[in-house]
Amino acid sequence: MSGMHLSKEFFELLKAIGESKSKQEEDRIIAREVAVLKKKLEGTKKSGPAGSPGPQNQLATNKKKAKEFLVRLLYVEMLGHDGSFGYIKAVELAASSSIIHKRTGYLVCAACLSPEHEFRFMLVNQMQRDLASSHVLEVCAALIAVTNLITADMAPAVHTEVGKALDHQAETVRKKAIIALHRLHQIAPDVVTRSDVIERLRKVLCDRDPAVMGASLNVIDSMAAVDPIPFKDLIASLISILKQVCERRLPDAFEYHKVPAPWIQMKLVRILATLGKNDAQASNGMYEILSDCLKRADVGVNAGYAVMYECVRTITTIYPNPTLLDAAADAISRLLGSRAQNLRYLGLTGLAGIVEGHPKYAAAHQMAVIECLEDTDETIQRKTLDLLYKMTNPVNVEFVVDKLLLFIRTSQDLYLRKTLTSRICTIAERFAPSNAWYVKTITELFEISGEFVSPAVAQNLMSLIAEGSGEGEDGEESEEADMLLRQHAVEIYAAKLAGPKARLPRVLVETMAWVLGEYAYLSASYTLDDILVKLCEYSTTPTLDITTRKFLITAIQKLVAQLGQCPSHAASVIDAYTKSKDVDLQQRCMEFQAILTTAPHLLGEILPVDASCEDVGVDENLSFLDGFVAEALQNGAREYEKPEDDDDDDDAGGGYAASAGAFKMTPYEKPTS
Amino acid sequence: VHFPTKPRSKMISFILMVNKQGQTRLSSYYQWMPMEERVALESEIIRKCLSRSELQCSFLEYRGFKVIYRRYASLFFIVGTKADIDAGKGAENNENEMGMLEFIHSLVETMDKWAGSICELDIMYQLEEVHFLLDEMVMNGYVVETNKANILRPIDLLEREAKTADGMFR
Repeated sequence: MSGMHLSKEFFELLKAIGESKSKQEEDRIIAREVAVLKKKLEGTKKSGPAGSPGPQNQLATNKKKAKEFLVRLLYVEMLGHDGSFGYIKAVELAASSSIIHKRTGYLVCAACLSPEHEFRFMLVNQMQRDLASSHVLEVCAALIAVTNLITADMAPAVHTEVGKALDHQAETVRKKAIIALHRLHQIAPDVVTRSDVIERLRKVLCDRDPAVMGASLNVIDSMAAVDPIPFKDLIASLISILKQVCERRLPDAFEYHKVPAPWIQMKLVRILATLGKNDAQASNGMYEILSDCLKRADVGVNAGYAVMYECVRTITTIYPNPTLLDAAADAISRLLGSRAQNLRYLGLTGLAGIVEGHPKYAAAHQMAVIECLEDTDETIQRKTLDLLYKMTNPVNVEFVVDKLLLFIRTSQDLYLRKTLTSRICTIAERFAPSNAWYVKTITELFEISGEFVSPAVAQNLMSLIAEGSGEGEDGEESEEADMLLRQHAVEIYAAKLAGPKARLPRVLVETMAWVLGEYAYLSASYTLDDILVKLCEYSTTPTLDITTRKFLITAIQKLVAQLGQCPSHAASVIDAYTKSKDVDLQQRCMEFQAILTTAPHLLGEILPVDASCEDVGVDENLSFLDGFVAEALQNGAREYEKPEDDDDDDDAGGGYAASAGAFKMTPYEKPTS
Repeated sequence: VHFPTKPRSKMISFILMVNKQGQTRLSSYYQWMPMEERVALESEIIRKCLSRSELQCSFLEYRGFKVIYRRYASLFFIVGTKADIDAGKGAENNENEMGMLEFIHSLVETMDKWAGSICELDIMYQLEEVHFLLDEMVMNGYVVETNKANILRPIDLLEREAKTADGMFR
């Protein structure tokens, strides 16, 4: 195709874009194009010389030019520039009676109009007309447009016609209609309900044309994933269809690289997975067809491997069958052992699926897994991490966590780091070989990816340290083991505080502060004062979060209480914070100062040692002040008078209406002069 | 030991045709994305694809998308998938990467058949028609048709109507 059908202008534009050597150059070209297009659109109200139409009129009367305008607009937006000045033309062109112009109009609308854009709604009438058209291509155009552009408030206007399109005589229409109907349900579930869709789906599944059946599988797949129950009675039909497909009873045109309708097979197999999961009876009926499907797909081409892979996944998802599992494991072994990276990838994912429920199958692949972990292909490495995660058990947890930590340290990918962080939290908690290991591991995690750790994990850690595990290792005296754990934590954190002051994540600092505040006295390497000095130093770091500061101040206060006196470095920090912008922090520090000067003997009670697990008794009646009150009354103080309850006071000023929420409806009187 | 199960589903979020200079030749999004996000996504993804060797696998992960890509001459065909929006936030994307890889190939074969050997220029010169062809194959992020006859029949009809229309209107 030579581009001869394009206008000279358009051709030149594409040539320039194609030859541009940098993004900046491309931006300049597009900026020029935007100016040209804007001019075409605005034009002048009066006509050009000697009665020829002005630029504005050209676009209106010449459909070909209008269509080209829109394609150029599409380019503008595709390359990252704003083309909103031209959107209205797209809406206009959708009304064209020429099908290709109509499609172009709808296309540009779908590509450019955001879901909140008011122009979407403007298309509703056009969609209705097109849906009811006697011309197949117009109905198709409308169905595609509905799927791309429909919003919740537009749905009521079109859903009936879309429903009718499901009975259209053309396969191409019915195929699109079921997708459009599903889309309507997704966007407006009260207009097109689940049962509406499911009812139509049953019929569409048995459509005389396999293409329509194939399209409906997407909808079944999507809806069954949310709730499989309404689809369970379709299992027999699905199996029957899959059988027909596998046995090559579909027209030849559905074949791809010698595999019969591979994507239809994959969808059917995938739906079976969803429906057979945790359902022994349902799964039972599937074993035969899955075995058959798996065997037949083994023809040595990618499409075949794709079907095999789907079968393997389904076999490992549904209620287990030993023969099938063996067959699946076999397929996985072959994939893993392949030299083609894509197939190894499938092998890894397949193995991850089977190993979760049946760990014995992992044993044969340990070497292969280690190799994959060291592969230069980042994708393979990451898939192996997935696999390792699924394979974690109490025996290998330290190894697995080590690997995951390594990847967090070396990866720049925030998404990956976040996922791995949450995974480490899960398996560390589940499989920790010892509390000491858990503390060390989670602390390290805080340090390298603290920003991704949920606060709950920090809380868990602190609880673990405070409460202990309730049972010691090897059954020894539990309190001793708990103390050892606390000491261990303290040593780690004190050392960290004393070490190089690289910017520590907030969650780590807060945890450290709390642990040190509670248990610093357990440290064999540092004195209380050592640790206090470090905490004070750290609290002067300018970039700290307010909550972090509070943790630090509380820790400092606890240590002062334990020391029995307030060294100058602590006093100056607390004094500085009495001027904090945060009122809570101010209050804590001022109260502390007051207690220090007037009643230092109370410190031990206010900040008791190792009492974080004890409940704080609260006397709501403040009965401890009864003596103070009695004394004051004796000296002539006035009794407390409870203020009058004026909630029921309707008449007292202000103009509040007697009934809740009623507005004053009578107008004000006119002002007198 | 079983980990908590999440619903599994999939959909296509975007299909891109980007050349090795990073210029987008076609983009089709099945989930609305504001323009800045698209521009950033397209440039980052192509960079990632370009940084990989031919010996490495055709799959990668990017910001939670499972990306399947394949290079044909100067053009990368890139498909980004994620869990179906219906399945909720915690849902797992159970895309069959090999199936999608072959879908890309099937798309290219179809375009080839339509254009009589497709190349980057063809896509540039007939952008809207390539979109129409793609619309026959993918709707709402689902693969709805791969049978070439079924795809090209309406496209044929569309083109014939366009020719008559062209002849009737100047």
